[in-house]
Amino acid sequence: MIAAMGYEHILLELEPPIATLTLNRPKVLNALSPDLIRELTTALAELDADENVRAVVLTGGPKVFAAGADIGDMADRGAVDQLRRDQTGRWAPLAGFSKPLIAAVNGYALGGGCEVALMCDLIFAGETARFGQPEINLGIIPGAGGTQRWPRSVGKYVAMEVMLTGAPVTAQRAYELGVVNKVVPADMTVALAKRMARQIAEKPPLAARMAKEAVLKAFDSPLTEGLASERKSFYFLFATEDQKEGMHAFLEKRKGVFKGR
Amino acid sequence: MKEVATEVEQHIQVHTHDGVALIRFNRPEKMNAIGAITRQQLGDAIKQAERDDAVRVVVLTGSGRAFSSGADVTEMVHGAGMRTPEDVGNVLRNEYMPMLVRLRTMPKPVIAAMNGPAVGIGASFALACDIRIGTPDSYLLEAFVNIGLAPDGGVSWLLPRLAGTGIAYEMFFSGKPLQAADAHRLGVINRIVPAERLEEEVRELANHLASQPRNAMAGAKRAVNQALESTFEQALEFESYLQEAQAASAEFAEGVQAFLSRRSAKQG
Repeated sequence: MIAAMGYEHILLELEPPIATLTLNRPKVLNALSPDLIRELTTALAELDADENVRAVVLTGGPKVFAAGADIGDMADRGAVDQLRRDQTGRWAPLAGFSKPLIAAVNGYALGGGCEVALMCDLIFAGETARFGQPEINLGIIPGAGGTQRWPRSVGKYVAMEVMLTGAPVTAQRAYELGVVNKVVPADMTVALAKRMARQIAEKPPLAARMAKEAVLKAFDSPLTEGLASERKSFYFLFATEDQKEGMHAFLEKRKGVFKGR
Repeated sequence: MKEVATEVEQHIQVHTHDGVALIRFNRPEKMNAIGAITRQQLGDAIKQAERDDAVRVVVLTGSGRAFSSGADVTEMVHGAGMRTPEDVGNVLRNEYMPMLVRLRTMPKPVIAAMNGPAVGIGASFALACDIRIGTPDSYLLEAFVNIGLAPDGGVSWLLPRLAGTGIAYEMFFSGKPLQAADAHRLGVINRIVPAERLEEEVRELANHLASQPRNAMAGAKRAVNQALESTFEQALEFESYLQEAQAASAEFAEGVQAFLSRRSAKQG
């Protein structure tokens, strides 16, 4: 395991072919300060470019995922300040991350923290996890995609409940709503997310990337467009070495070894 | 002796010793009826017992003749706090619910020492504990119907699981008590001991549990609670992950070492 240096608010563990990013401001429940966001998005951009990394786990550690933004830092700002800083617009490297990204959530994932989890591709929840958008209690609304990603995941009515009451939903309810993939013992959340990341990292990376793109496309395009795009990606993959390897390995009853070519 | 709230009436006593927190209803003259002050103090005591790492086992019991006679009905009618139907609902949702959930989910064993009758919300507290030890004169009574109310305090969930729906319905419909002997036969009460032996028996059990590996016990409680909400396969899966975490623990290392060297385990 190599722990990369240079970050103050996050931990980056590189264990190729996977990497784990841990939000690391436990004293403030991993509040998403501008510095933390900058470090996280920088690290994500690096990982996206690193060919040795094929899947990434994002976690806040054993106690809390992230209990939202740094309110102290926001309380007295004006609209123009907020617009200039465009804090919520800075999540692009997360939302647009091209490789499978697994959130391992224990404890609170609130506000921006919840939105960060929703931007991941799979969510593993410890039994202690709580997902919520309490922004309304502060006179604002979610600003990093919460109002858009919740309804796309759970439908209008539950999304409204989450936005309008500000009350968090439990791991079990989130599981029943289909927002989380698995509820696991809190002490195993990160380990299991890493295990899943390793499984996914064995898959042909280009296919994983296309699959991710295609699924995300389903959320913001009409069906015909999504289907057309899917078909193109499907044909494209026949141009890859990994497709040849995958199909021949299948026929030869052996495990494929994929290069991402 | 650590006492909760000295400035007002002390409806709850807490005594923590050797890893065991004894929480005692302390209104013997009112059969340990639960009013606003009781709720406040009991809530604090339960929360504190959960948070305090020195507490490994919690015992809930009554003083005098009753475990608890339930909600203080006089206060409901004449006193402060619970006058409108909405107040009744709010007390259930905002006060009793967190306490009962906490008892059922805190990662440590909770024992009800039923020194006498447990009625209404008092029965809920006994039933929300993990283990119940009773005396021959103790009983459980869902008296709601007798005053025109429906069951509350989680008993609609707890009693069918502990005693079966037939018994639960009979209690809810008839407003008649489930006597200790019947409760014991049904497995609702783990065992019955003579009244004068109750404290000692419970102390012995609590001390034993306090010497057991705490995370292994917490794991058992998490697994049972998870299983009550899941399918068999989901329960098997949850167990397997839990066991994986526990197999990596110092408790397991010590347990195995002790087993192999034929000594008793020392769990920190």
